[in-house]
Amino acid sequence: MYCFLRLSVLLVGLIFSASSYAANAVQPLTTADDLGPKVEQPIEFPHDRHAGDAAKGGMQINCMYCHTYARRSIVAGIPPLQKCIGCHQSIESVRETPRIKKLFEYWEAKKAVPWKKVHDLPDFVRFNHERHIQRFVFAQNKPVQEACGYCHGDVKTMTVARRQKPLSMGWCVSCHQKDHPVDATSTKTTHGPNDCWQCHK
Amino acid sequence: MIENSFNRRAFLKVLGWGGATVALSGCGNTSVEDGKEFVTSYVQTADYIIPSIGTYFNSTCAQCDAGCGIMGRVREGRVLKLEGNPKSSINNGKMCGLGQAGVQAHYNPDRIREPLLRNGDKGEAITWEKALGLINEKVGGVGAENIAFLTGGVSGHVKVLLKNYLDALGSGHHYVYEAVAPSIMRAANKRAYGVEMPRLRLDKAKVILSFGADFLGSWISPVHFSQQYARFRKADNGERGVLVQVESKMTLTGANADRWLAIRPGTEGILALGLINALAAAGLSVPGDVAAVVKEYTTDRVSKDTGVSVEHIGKLAALLKGRSPSLIIAGSAAEGYAHGSQNAAAIALLNQVLGNVGKTVEGSFSMPFPQMTPSAGSRQALQVLNDNMLQDKVKVLFSYGANPVFTAPASMKLKESLKKVPFKVAFAHYMDETAVEADLVLPLNSALEDWGTVMPEYIAEGAQLNIRQPLMEKLHPGTLGMGDMLLALLKQRRPDEYKGYEDFYSYLRNAMVSNKGALGGANADDDTFWEAALSHGMVKLAGSPVNISSHISANGLVVPAPFVEDSAYPLHLIPAVSASLRDGRNANEPWLQESPDPLTTIVWDSWVEMHPKTAAKLGIVEGDIVEVASKSGSIKAQVYVFTGIHPDVISVPLGYGHEAMGRYAKGVGVNAFKILDPVFDKETGELAMHETRVKVSKAGQRVIIVKDEGPAGGNQMGRKIAVRMSSDKVNLSKEV
Ligand code: SF4
Repeated sequence: MYCFLRLSVLLVGLIFSASSYAANAVQPLTTADDLGPKVEQPIEFPHDRHAGDAAKGGMQINCMYCHTYARRSIVAGIPPLQKCIGCHQSIESVRETPRIKKLFEYWEAKKAVPWKKVHDLPDFVRFNHERHIQRFVFAQNKPVQEACGYCHGDVKTMTVARRQKPLSMGWCVSCHQKDHPVDATSTKTTHGPNDCWQCHK
Repeated sequence: MIENSFNRRAFLKVLGWGGATVALSGCGNTSVEDGKEFVTSYVQTADYIIPSIGTYFNSTCAQCDAGCGIMGRVREGRVLKLEGNPKSSINNGKMCGLGQAGVQAHYNPDRIREPLLRNGDKGEAITWEKALGLINEKVGGVGAENIAFLTGGVSGHVKVLLKNYLDALGSGHHYVYEAVAPSIMRAANKRAYGVEMPRLRLDKAKVILSFGADFLGSWISPVHFSQQYARFRKADNGERGVLVQVESKMTLTGANADRWLAIRPGTEGILALGLINALAAAGLSVPGDVAAVVKEYTTDRVSKDTGVSVEHIGKLAALLKGRSPSLIIAGSAAEGYAHGSQNAAAIALLNQVLGNVGKTVEGSFSMPFPQMTPSAGSRQALQVLNDNMLQDKVKVLFSYGANPVFTAPASMKLKESLKKVPFKVAFAHYMDETAVEADLVLPLNSALEDWGTVMPEYIAEGAQLNIRQPLMEKLHPGTLGMGDMLLALLKQRRPDEYKGYEDFYSYLRNAMVSNKGALGGANADDDTFWEAALSHGMVKLAGSPVNISSHISANGLVVPAPFVEDSAYPLHLIPAVSASLRDGRNANEPWLQESPDPLTTIVWDSWVEMHPKTAAKLGIVEGDIVEVASKSGSIKAQVYVFTGIHPDVISVPLGYGHEAMGRYAKGVGVNAFKILDPVFDKETGELAMHETRVKVSKAGQRVIIVKDEGPAGGNQMGRKIAVRMSSDKVNLSKEV
């Protein structure tokens, strides 16, 4: 009797833990090639069309034209809808395409587009875009797409962005351990900070 | 037992599996919400709005009547934290804890979200059109003289619209009610100095003698006074001001004083006259008629009457004589008696005799827009309304910014009187005790999402008109601002006059811009003026100075002899106004409930403060539940034994003991307002808050008081901290 009880308790426990494990296992933490999950967005935003190379039909727009906050804030942010409209109201050629029509529907309703997060970090991690952009783009004169690409991959070839890198602590540290020149001209190098509190505040 | 049914090992195994899942969900990347969470983005925004970086907008605190300027930190469209506005001369960038809790009034889960119409015992959600239509119908169906508007203190443009609405109805019945208002002080000041609210210059005084004015905690404009107090303590010339506090129950200010003197309740006026006599004897020139009045107040007699020792009276007189200018302040503790006005007059006389008028008691300013100046609330207004309701003179009652069902003493039987009013409308944030009684409840915007202007009653430096503006979008689409509601009601009555204003904002902007000349914007264009006003959170006004008069006279001044003992009700009850709960209107903000009372460190409950001697006499120890009974009712609460109180006195804080309002206020503590006896100040007719006599008896239970304080003379890591010493062991000879 007691044995039976014990077994059932154990079984219940097992089922619970297995089912919660299963729930967690739906989304793999990191796929083999470090790809994040496919994210369905309200509008399938073509990064390749906006930022891609001219040879491939891209507009070669600087990442920071839209993600303007990256250089002055810890988050890169999504541009206000007003920014999309600012250009698109004078681009007649695509005005009637489904995506742009949808865009203008949001604008007329004065509703923000409910974009989904593609790159999220746990709440106990504080990643600062500004520091990285200031360092790589402004101090070291690296091309913007290269600097953003360290963490975001080659976004200019994607339509809807998808996470390309693991964004795990070990992955961050692997870069922070490297020697980086302090600015574009200097031969002096330094590491990224490795204090816990730099990210875990 | 455990071995048999569920051994430790099996338990650990289960835990092991559970633990593993905990670890997976806690430490892995599973808290990452790729593809699940939304990113905040704007439709349109200003260039200076940057995600993750706070932007500050100026507005005005609504937690008390002091009217401090605030700056709200707003991020991603949400207000996160409030700071003081450095440009406001009232608070110069500082705030108090009560003001900080303003965000909890805004995000409070118990806010009403849509208009509610009574259906039996329940409130049924209705539309705004229906609600406003119903009001139109009800006020149209009765005579103007049967409509009454009960409010707390109002000022600014809401006051103007309210007056216009009452005019449009043809009714002048506006009752301004404040449960703890300095009404007696206003009257006494008017008589002594010619102005109701003179400016007190604590910073210029070398000695402050305060008769129970808790100016650092809850009195008039505490943040302003705290800053002056800092300069008083650390004056530019290096001379540290001396604060002496005389009161029957220690307040936060009393705890900061150099010398705290426990006085027999109600004898403050006697001490003031005794001090004049002692000063005259020490050579201070005192007008003849005053000298004649005070000469019978010999130090011996005063000491006997007040319980303050002859030695201390002597020291106090010497201190006042030696250090000038001084400042004598009469607080609510001295004024809460049937002879409260006389006490206040005696204390004002001491100020005059010492020559402080014009030095530390300064004139004020008259405001350019009298229709916007704050309407001074009093307790008497409620009495008059109550009488009218009893005589069936009130058919439609509006209530805004007051919770009289909670704050009126039980002896008033207000709830019964309200039953005689056929249609009651409450403009409310919460379903508080008054809203519960109403027939129609209209939900208000929080102060952080509303438009308005506020003119504080206590003018700090120069006159100013404070702006209240939304710091973020409304949380609940179904709420409205008071200004918007009044405007909608006015449109029903005077459509031609008001139809041009789409909402209260457009009314306010127009009213301000069209008077920009008087509001300091004579040379600016409309937009510039308005933008500047909003960005500063206020406009400075050119108020004309009102001079203070000092006609020293003891004419008609009679301070009665001390109380005779009442053997049935041997103790005096002091209903304490605490810095955070005040009259209880903010009791549903949990920060205020959980921040410990500064003197007792008690949280989340009421208590009965009692002197150790009294407790010993009654056989009571800390944590005993006692019944405190007055002629008007009784309450039960835990005892806190405390030396900072006169042995003839017990004290219970106000603001606790809500029966409604919300999850954080309801059922916490007991309501001391209820047992106050109906005794009134003889001159002003105000409720004498400190006149209630009580008896205390043990109710049988004992609890452990929830408080922050450790045991007396406690130690930390083996080191003694804050050693407690009785005052006769301290060498005070060098002190006051
Ligand atoms: S004193 Fe009153 S107005 Fe000033 S911050 Fe405190 S609660 Fe707000």
